[in-house]
Amino acid sequence: MVRSPLASSRLINLLTGVQALVLMVVLFAPIAWMILASFKNRVDITRYPPKLLFEPTLDNYRELFIRTDFLDNTLNSFYVAGGSTLLGLALAIPAAFAISWHRLTWPATLTLFARMAPGTLFLLPWFIMFSSLGLAGSHVALIITHAVITVPIALWTLLPHFDGLPRELTESAQIDGCRSPQVLLWIAVPVVVPGIIVAVILSFIFSWNYFLFALVLSNIHSKTAIVASFNFIGEGVTNWGALMAAATVIALPPTLLTLLIQRRLVSGLSFGAVKG
Amino acid sequence: MVQAMRGQRAASFEWMVLPAVAFVLLMVVFPFGYGIWLSLLEYKLGSPITFVGLGNYAALLKDEQFWNGLRLTFILYLFALLIQLVLGVALGIFIHGIHVLRGLVRTVMVSPFMLPPVVIGMMSIVVLDPAMGVANYLLKSAGLPTSHFLASTNYVIFTVIAIDTWQWTPFVALIVLGGLQALPARVYEAAAIDGALGWRRFVYITLPMLGPTILTAAVLRSVDLLRFFDVIYITTQGGPGFASTTLNIYAYRRGFEFSDIGYASALMITLSSIVLASVLVFSQFRRRLTW
Repeated sequence: MVRSPLASSRLINLLTGVQALVLMVVLFAPIAWMILASFKNRVDITRYPPKLLFEPTLDNYRELFIRTDFLDNTLNSFYVAGGSTLLGLALAIPAAFAISWHRLTWPATLTLFARMAPGTLFLLPWFIMFSSLGLAGSHVALIITHAVITVPIALWTLLPHFDGLPRELTESAQIDGCRSPQVLLWIAVPVVVPGIIVAVILSFIFSWNYFLFALVLSNIHSKTAIVASFNFIGEGVTNWGALMAAATVIALPPTLLTLLIQRRLVSGLSFGAVKG
Repeated sequence: MVQAMRGQRAASFEWMVLPAVAFVLLMVVFPFGYGIWLSLLEYKLGSPITFVGLGNYAALLKDEQFWNGLRLTFILYLFALLIQLVLGVALGIFIHGIHVLRGLVRTVMVSPFMLPPVVIGMMSIVVLDPAMGVANYLLKSAGLPTSHFLASTNYVIFTVIAIDTWQWTPFVALIVLGGLQALPARVYEAAAIDGALGWRRFVYITLPMLGPTILTAAVLRSVDLLRFFDVIYITTQGGPGFASTTLNIYAYRRGFEFSDIGYASALMITLSSIVLASVLVFSQFRRRLTW
């Protein structure tokens, strides 16, 4: 070491600080640009060269919620994401408990298949299935199809939590005469509440964000905010402000929810391959 | 008494997997089989349905757009995967070394990949607009050549790669960070004593130990990249012309724009086989690495 260690460590700190700042700007600038654009008026938004300082307006949001069905679409998104999260958890909690307790592998692998197959593959069969049941375009059909997304996410998020459950706890409850559903509900579930919260949030975000299924299987009454804003793009060349307002609105729930579970996020998304 | 306890202790929870298994069988496995069946049919809306065996698959081999889609799928897959893994490892190591503002950096890193793809698409359309977009404005101000980005036949697929790289490299980096944090500090201490530092330490110690972690990231990205759909369909619908019509987009267009159900199913089954094959290849690698 020729340089004084103190000076060189200061220099390195400064350098990493600058690099971190650049990184954050690169990742966040497009998002910030979108949010800013949603508050620009018609003239400012297409102004070239682009303006950083402008007089903010809520016109885009007003137009979005008053002149289009976006409020209904947003409510549909809440129904579908909420419903599929509940359904996904209802299926995944008992399954994760049993898989973890009996060290089963095949059911877990089976749900991974749902995660890996291209969604387009299911669309034609589903379309035919739901049409023959008279359910095509219904909220129910969307909730069921979105549960194909939520079940594997919830299951794989819950598995490590159930694995951490002390076996004695469950066994003593059984000796006390609890039946297996009671064991699950009153003994196991309270212990894994933190895992359930992460599973709920991840399921909700992914169901909320999902585009393809609702693109094909929704109708005018069940259209989600995601699909509605995709339709705006076609019409929207003339109205970029409302487009950016829609983007900002639908980005809000996943962003807020993400902030709650940051630390567990990556381990949940990597199907247990990465510890959080 | 003891026997009664044993009897109860052996009580099985196995049946509790049944609802989830039934759901996956009904919604995933059955449609998959049904899709295979559809792929064997000549099935166009409005025309009589006939069984053609492997006819659709034979037709596929002679379909110029199939080969175009396959080529684009693999360009997207290979470039995006490679770039994201290299950048992701570099970024992961960088963040591992940061001690200030770490929480904030992590928060910012998570935001791109948790946003809905439709938001990413709308944002890209506005930022990358050839005439009014801020991207070309910045390029021009810096004296660099501008681009038509998503409207360019030659560069649209690379624009998509760039968008996906922006969105998902942070995810790879956070996986790598998880792997780095799990590495035992003793290894580094031993390496330091042996004089392995800097670049040598990275090549001979960090990288091999990160192998399984990087493979995990590779598998997760592979699955998503091979069946990439959302951002392409939202921004270009496969255009201009067929310049961004990957296999998945092509299958969708054949199925839902041309109502060519049998042929579209053959395309989708082919794509699914490619995705599954890539996962199997990676899992073989992984087995060898971890043993």
